[in-house]
Amino acid sequence: MPKTLHLPPADPILVARALTKRFPGVLALDHVDVEFQEREIHAILGQNGAGKTTLMNILFGLVQPDEGALFLRGQQVEFRSPHDALAHGIGMVHQTRRLVSAHTVLENIVLGHPRVRGFLNLRSVAPEVEGLCNKYGFTVDLAARVWQLPEGERQWVEILKALYRGAQVLILDEPTSALTPPEVKTLLAGLQALVRDQGVTILLVTHKLPIVLAASHRVTVLRSGKVVARVRTGEATEEMLVRHMIGRDIVARTGKRSIEAGPPLLQVDHLSVVNDKGQPALQDVSFSLREGEILGVAGVTGNGQDELAQVLAGLRDAVSGTVRFKDRDVTRLSPLARWRMGMGYVPAERVEVASIAAFSLVENTALNYHFDPAFARRGLLDDAGLEQLTRNIISCYEVKTPTARTRAQHLSGGNLQKLILGRVLSRKPRLLIAHLPTQGLDVEAAAFVRAALLDAKADGAAILLISEDLDEILSLADWVAPIYEGRFGGVLPRAEADIETIGAMMAGLSAKEVRAQ
Amino acid sequence: MRLGRYDVTLEPRTTRPAFYSALTAVGAILLALALASVLFLSAQTPLLDAYRAIFSYAFFNPNGLLATIHRSIYLLLCTYAFLVPLRAGLWNIGLPGQVYAGGIAAFAIPFVFRTQESQTLSLPPVFLILLMVASAAAAGAVVGGFAGVLRARFQVNEILVTMMLNSILFWLVAYMIKEGGPFMSPRGEGESFALPPPLHAPLLWGVPFTAVLALGAAVFLDILFAKTPLGYRIRAFGQNPAAARYGGIIPLALSLFVFLLGGGFAGLAGYHYFAALPGVYKISGNYGYFGDLSFYGIISALIARGSSLGAVPIAVLFAGLSLGARFAQGQLRLPFGVDYALLGLLMMTFVASHVLYQFRVAWRRVPSPTLRPAPTQLPPG
Repeated sequence: MPKTLHLPPADPILVARALTKRFPGVLALDHVDVEFQEREIHAILGQNGAGKTTLMNILFGLVQPDEGALFLRGQQVEFRSPHDALAHGIGMVHQTRRLVSAHTVLENIVLGHPRVRGFLNLRSVAPEVEGLCNKYGFTVDLAARVWQLPEGERQWVEILKALYRGAQVLILDEPTSALTPPEVKTLLAGLQALVRDQGVTILLVTHKLPIVLAASHRVTVLRSGKVVARVRTGEATEEMLVRHMIGRDIVARTGKRSIEAGPPLLQVDHLSVVNDKGQPALQDVSFSLREGEILGVAGVTGNGQDELAQVLAGLRDAVSGTVRFKDRDVTRLSPLARWRMGMGYVPAERVEVASIAAFSLVENTALNYHFDPAFARRGLLDDAGLEQLTRNIISCYEVKTPTARTRAQHLSGGNLQKLILGRVLSRKPRLLIAHLPTQGLDVEAAAFVRAALLDAKADGAAILLISEDLDEILSLADWVAPIYEGRFGGVLPRAEADIETIGAMMAGLSAKEVRAQ
Repeated sequence: MRLGRYDVTLEPRTTRPAFYSALTAVGAILLALALASVLFLSAQTPLLDAYRAIFSYAFFNPNGLLATIHRSIYLLLCTYAFLVPLRAGLWNIGLPGQVYAGGIAAFAIPFVFRTQESQTLSLPPVFLILLMVASAAAAGAVVGGFAGVLRARFQVNEILVTMMLNSILFWLVAYMIKEGGPFMSPRGEGESFALPPPLHAPLLWGVPFTAVLALGAAVFLDILFAKTPLGYRIRAFGQNPAAARYGGIIPLALSLFVFLLGGGFAGLAGYHYFAALPGVYKISGNYGYFGDLSFYGIISALIARGSSLGAVPIAVLFAGLSLGARFAQGQLRLPFGVDYALLGLLMMTFVASHVLYQFRVAWRRVPSPTLRPAPTQLPPG
């Protein structure tokens, strides 16, 4: 096998040598050697907790390594802060946007630039930024306010901001996590153009295999803080990368599709809901769901999914229409009353809504149990019982945590999600509303969550699965309802729902139009 | 920071043993006293004399000790008034107003029953005293609850509402006790009528029974927050309101509850200062001073980090030092405001100790920079 690279033909621009970083109780990076060639898209692949974030934070100067060194173009460098990294031409685009949404694109790009001190003369910097945009083939209205832009364009603003600071190496942390499929396509094409035409080097940090396979030149796979594989993307296969990432094969589980027509458990009729701004978010939605069935609501985020989940959970008022659960009108019932009737809800916002960061895991479990007489002893919360329950959830759902008394903020996203799901499912809900249950999870955790949903279904629970991941919906759901601008395009049996049809309906075409095409 | 071959950094503590918590508190007190010595030296007062005057008056002099206990009870009740809403993430800045409301309501009972003329006292005094306590707590609760409702129902900022209520109630007290107000002393000296002796709060070992309320509440609140479902809901709401709502907690009921309970404690503080302190038993003309004093409840709740038991020694310390420093000021002719300066120093060192307590100082050897870049190799295949 050739030891030199054919593509791209360049020298290593950035080399990390024997990087080691310890955090209290964790060895985040264990003698990691990585080498980034000039003009390449280099993917860093790994599960949550594999050390990707630490590696990238070291490269960007946010974290200092305990051991090891960085070399930029053959010279040893030491980044004490992101400021140092930027001065050496290394820029970073974080997973969450760090833009001032009330400011214009131009203001955001020049904000914090070392040259902009004292008075800010936007008129003088505007042509320069415009020139940069033209150079990189980037078309966005510099005068537009950031909040008006779609997510995909905000990402470009961040990239442009880094380039404006002279970044030659761009670190992108999970750049596709908030983007719709077309936006992802645009982003990847743009990144490839940057590398090809402008000689930029891109470090793509992600756990999404399709992105890696579609866009990168080389892949470095991290597992438990160690480099476990370095491969050229052209020689890699999805199975092989998965095996490296998790250290073994994933056994895909599919549930037996047992659609035995029971009585409808959930009956939603002509439901309409407004969002926080008072605009219609959900319009005239009707469907029913039986025990042991999964209805997959497929759509791009922002088409009324949040409001649908919230109105069913009782966290948002319905404007009109009714929700019947177990033959009872629950439209005006409080969340607590719904939990008591056997509803369960796994919100999309794990950190913001579904958990309390400063609380221990036991206290987080209590969030679904503080009202339960089974966990009250003479007016006090049954702490021992809750701890036992939490331990059961931790072991059944393979939550990785030092103890049940650890604070939730110390859990990674996947482990927190497993805890939340386990907590909700431990109440044996008859109806489960699962909103983006696998978003941001690594391959293994996502597979685990899906398996848990299928187990709940096998126990006879009805599940409303709201997801952006079409593959997930098609592999789990018995019924598929594409949602677009607050309306269901229809409720199709799984057999009639192929990926093209659903995709077209998610984009706003009705079932009739799809068939006519 | 780099010192020779070692890198010294502040790292967050992952575990926070209670022992260190107590140790840092003691350290903070010592540091504040050490810093205060600058004040004494600048006034050319021998240090030892100054500290001896402060501590001997506050904790060893019989009169001073009694005053310290009285003030501690007051500060403790004010502390709870702030602490309970704080645990729900809400800021009750209305302690003075609720204290005044408690005072007015307590004096409304003898006023309504016409007991200030001792010959008309017909109901058993114990009953009337209980009525005064209940009425004071209820009035504080109503004033607090008003802010709670506005907050929960209409999202009106509770800090603004409680602050404005302070002013309203300040002037209400003025109206009641001054210039011919209904509660005015018959001698018309700008203060309220004095309680008839049968209505003086009973003393236990020379201390008003409110001490039992204050200490009992420390235990009660500690159990409430640590063990009960209601306390759990309050804490959950305080940490993350969205998560609390998801967990089935009703924000309106909870906001109202914490302000009712908090206001009730402040009302009791009002009862304590105006109707239970030996030698007072009236709403005096300088009632505003006690209103201002109630703000130390905020500080002590924050320093105790929301722990009602932890607030007890802090309130006692604040009460003792404020009285002791005031005494020392008179005795040693120290400059005006030494008591405030000492409390201010104490606050600063406590806050600083909190920050330090969250972190530990870590020493690490700096790795020797002798590694050379070696190209990483592609694996075969």
